[in-house]
Amino acid sequence: MTGSIASYLSTLVWSGWTSLLDYLAAHVLLCLVPAFVIAGYVSAMIPKEVITRYLGPKAPRWISYSAAAIGGFILAVCSCTILPLFASIWKRGAGLGVAITFLFVGPAVNILAIAYTGAAIGMDIAIARIILSISFGIFIGLIMARVFQKDEAQRMADLAESGLFDQQAVVKPAVWVVFLLLVAVLIVGTLQVSILTTTWISIHLPVELPANLVISLENLQLTPQGALLIVLLLLLAPVAYLGLEGVLERFNRWTYFAITLAGLTLLLAAPAVQEGSLLIGITGRFIGEIILIAAIGGVVALKFTHDQLAGWLWETWKFVKQIFPLLVLGVFLAGVFKAIIPGSLIENLTGQNTIWANLIGVLFGVFMYFPTLVEVPIARMFLDLGMNRGPLLAYLIADPALSVQSILVTGKILGRRKTLTYVSLVIVFATLAGYLFGLAMVTI
Amino acid sequence: MIEIKVLGPGCANCSKLEQITRKAVSEMGFQADINKITDYGEIMNYPIISTPGLVINGDLVCSGRVPTQAEVTTWLVNAAQ
Repeated sequence: MTGSIASYLSTLVWSGWTSLLDYLAAHVLLCLVPAFVIAGYVSAMIPKEVITRYLGPKAPRWISYSAAAIGGFILAVCSCTILPLFASIWKRGAGLGVAITFLFVGPAVNILAIAYTGAAIGMDIAIARIILSISFGIFIGLIMARVFQKDEAQRMADLAESGLFDQQAVVKPAVWVVFLLLVAVLIVGTLQVSILTTTWISIHLPVELPANLVISLENLQLTPQGALLIVLLLLLAPVAYLGLEGVLERFNRWTYFAITLAGLTLLLAAPAVQEGSLLIGITGRFIGEIILIAAIGGVVALKFTHDQLAGWLWETWKFVKQIFPLLVLGVFLAGVFKAIIPGSLIENLTGQNTIWANLIGVLFGVFMYFPTLVEVPIARMFLDLGMNRGPLLAYLIADPALSVQSILVTGKILGRRKTLTYVSLVIVFATLAGYLFGLAMVTI
Repeated sequence: MIEIKVLGPGCANCSKLEQITRKAVSEMGFQADINKITDYGEIMNYPIISTPGLVINGDLVCSGRVPTQAEVTTWLVNAAQ
């Protein structure tokens, strides 16, 4: 009896472990490393006033709603900051509709969510998530503004002119240049187009891998490239800690080592390695990444102050510490659950793109709480178990937007009536979004 | 006596700001009363969009980012005059 329990447990652990290796390997690393760097950069270098100046009551509605929807990219690079920001914006005098639009769209358009969803599940879902979140977010905001018009008029009259939305910010051009370069690094690293994936030059490494190494790697379902990347990642963790934990006070050689390692992981993941050999293909991706990384290094060295760089590294490291460990745990557990949850259950409930299936996806997202980004490996798990892409999107839209915890906090900020209205609207629109997406996927 | 308030609910940046502020105060030998404000209601009394925030003698000097120790020292020097 104990023998079969032990072997069952080890099957579960193995399932979690291989899921983890799959995620840590090349293609997800290529997106998460630049995504965290971008998140840290935006948080440190782009002041929120760039967006909030458009959110106040004086701005015309089409500007404030658009800014609320798209500004989420700059305002909240991680879902964790969205609730406090929402509270600030609303209490300071942004219209309820505008604040609600930000609240709903924020979790979908932050750089970490986009990059990771695209890499782990598919760009179709990531883009659909963005487009549907923005359009439906604006709808939900407008509806809320209409429904609570009287309350809002009263509140605005009571609110002293806070001047918050008049605050502007000057952002130097160099900041935008590096921002675009960083986004380019992310895109060039992950986009699947022929100019990037074609091998322009082939190099044969004059090295022979020992046979038993090759075999053990195969057993772990790893390529040599993937294994090397994971080793780099494991090395990066302690080095980053040593170099970045105190980066606001001083740089040390670990700081530079961490930066170098990060760049190396990007470059190492870029070439195409022929299966089962050491034939390295210098792909367009590799060439692109080298050029971009060099460009970023150049601009930063010339135009950025030491303190700016420190702030950027600190914010990046902050997000990594906050999100990555839980994400690793989430991926592992999703792998374990994949072995436990019967695929037939998932298929019966959500295998077809019906309104009911989408609603189930939404309700699961609403009632389950997962830390930032963990909803993605969970969604991946459901996909592998047989969930239809429609309900999957419904889940992905609903989960970061609502959870029992966030509903409670929103309730404290907005009050029960408004919160209940918001929750109902989210459930309705997320279900609809998933259903429409599912229909569109069939026709395309 | 300089009145200092560090505004923040307990995130990493607010703790950093408190750390930096305390260091600046002790290194310059100022007499200062430092309070960490974690209650959202109180934080909202000041015009900040996002935490952390630094209030010196009632004036909000910094918000939304972690200033350098040099900046904090400058503000303290100004406040002490």
